Amino acid sequence: MNISKVAETLEGSVVAGDSASGREVGAVVASDLMSDVLLVDADEMLLLSSLASDQVVRTAHVVGAMGVVIHDSKPLPASMLAVSEQLGIPLVSSPLSKYESCVRIHQALESEKNG
Amino acid sequence: MELAEIVELVKGTAVTPPDVAPQVSCAYSSDLLSDVMGHAPEDSVLITIQNHLNTIAVCTLAGINAIVLCHNRPAPDDMAAAAAREGVAIVVSPLSQYAAALALSSLPPASR
Amino acid sequence: MDERQRQPAILPPPHPSDDEVIDRHTAIPTTVGGESPLVIMELLQRMKVRDVMRKEITVLSRRDTMSRAQELMRKNHISGIPIAENGRLYGIVSVDDIIRALTGGWIDDLCAKHMSTHLIVLEADMPIAFALRYFENYKYNRFPVLDRHHQLVGLISQRDVTRALLYELTVAINRLESKAAPDNPAPDDPAALYACREYPVVHNDLENAGKAANDIKRLLREHKFDTRLARRIAVAAYELEINICIHSFGGSLTFMIADGKATVVAKDTGPGIPDIVWACQDGTSTANDWIRSLGFGAGMGLANSKRVSDRFDIVSVMGKGTTVTCQFNLPAGTGADTAAPPPARQGA
Repeated sequence: MNISKVAETLEGSVVAGDSASGREVGAVVASDLMSDVLLVDADEMLLLSSLASDQVVRTAHVVGAMGVVIHDSKPLPASMLAVSEQLGIPLVSSPLSKYESCVRIHQALESEKNG
Repeated sequence: MELAEIVELVKGTAVTPPDVAPQVSCAYSSDLLSDVMGHAPEDSVLITIQNHLNTIAVCTLAGINAIVLCHNRPAPDDMAAAAAREGVAIVVSPLSQYAAALALSSLPPASR
Repeated sequence: MDERQRQPAILPPPHPSDDEVIDRHTAIPTTVGGESPLVIMELLQRMKVRDVMRKEITVLSRRDTMSRAQELMRKNHISGIPIAENGRLYGIVSVDDIIRALTGGWIDDLCAKHMSTHLIVLEADMPIAFALRYFENYKYNRFPVLDRHHQLVGLISQRDVTRALLYELTVAINRLESKAAPDNPAPDDPAALYACREYPVVHNDLENAGKAANDIKRLLREHKFDTRLARRIAVAAYELEINICIHSFGGSLTFMIADGKATVVAKDTGPGIPDIVWACQDGTSTANDWIRSLGFGAGMGLANSKRVSDRFDIVSVMGKGTTVTCQFNLPAGTGADTAAPPPARQGA
């Protein structure tokens, strides 16, 4: 599943970064605490978070994540969009809650796997 | 959903006394207490790694009955004591927040 | 620059360049002419005061006389004698002090009375680059060197620095020349990689925190580091950067690749960690709600950086600061893609 499909699945849109990067979701991590994210040893992570801050994008870059989703249609600071462009991390804004995103992404990944 | 079922689904352990056995009707996942205050519905179970006394304070204010602490983050004594006092159940689970959300996916999300 | 930090004191001076990013260089030595200056810059960072200082030094106590100092200077051909007792430095008697004593008629007084007590000292762990800056700024011929516990461990003069640098440069240039030789197969030896970058980290400046880690990650990617190794290094850098930002008065993050190792050093100027064992445990935190609301303060920073490192060191002195060092072994072949084309291999 690429980032455009992620955005579509979560009823959101890619608001910064390359929406056609072609990178596929390798793992899903849901967290708002960056140290928690840094613990995960997985490639091509999709990071689901509620925290609208530059640090989320910086963390995503550090762990080599393929994209970030921010939930509840939270307003995203301009600096966050800029950091996202600069570091090449696609950023998705979704109206869903993080919990709902987890469930939807999982369903979509499963159906992709099965069909 | 009964607490016992939550414990089973998230492969966890309840660290609050057995008489703290709330019913939950939906789920919310966040580590940001201000976010929980703003968005989490009443009677929900909170999926988080915030093992902190203030989490109980926020749950009490927001009417949240149960907390799933992910990654086996232990509940500090002051947190467990406050939870028992306020009737908020704490379940410590080895799952990640993503996996815990999937485990509880039969619960509806918070209505927006 | 904080004026308070600039004052000469018996404590080791602070980082002299808190307000500037020293982007020394990032380079793989390929040609001698093009890269030599970078090698020198790297040497200045890599070599520490302790590697260069003289450790066997003549010391007198406060109860010795100025004439005793004069006698030792003449006998040992030295121009300054530290006055110290049990490793604690009290002052220095220099040739100038002796001349004044002779002309003033107090050559038989105790050193305690006439030694110079306004001292500038260097710390054993400081890079040579700092020492050079201090020679330039303060016009002293020598500085006493203290260790982390404020114990006198040596003396360093400009001549010591020059001698050590000349030696190291000869070694480095020989190495560069052997690499530049066309008949020498291109190495996939990680020891051939060099990089050294230093970033200031400002207390509570969460807007900029993480920039250093991002830059380090970019560098590792450019050098085609294995993604897992790059992630481990970047994670340590990020955690330590955030730690300085949140918990200290400020400091710096230094990243180096040399001798087949990648090293992240986080150094702050205080307040120090009262209980290091506790602080390194997972889930322990002194963060407040404001920090938690920004996604930090989960109390995993030190534990995380320790977990990803091959070697982890932490030294903290209350009221003085904390230095955390995370080291990573670079496996053979690391960065080989950028160092040079890998040597042709035959067969499977």
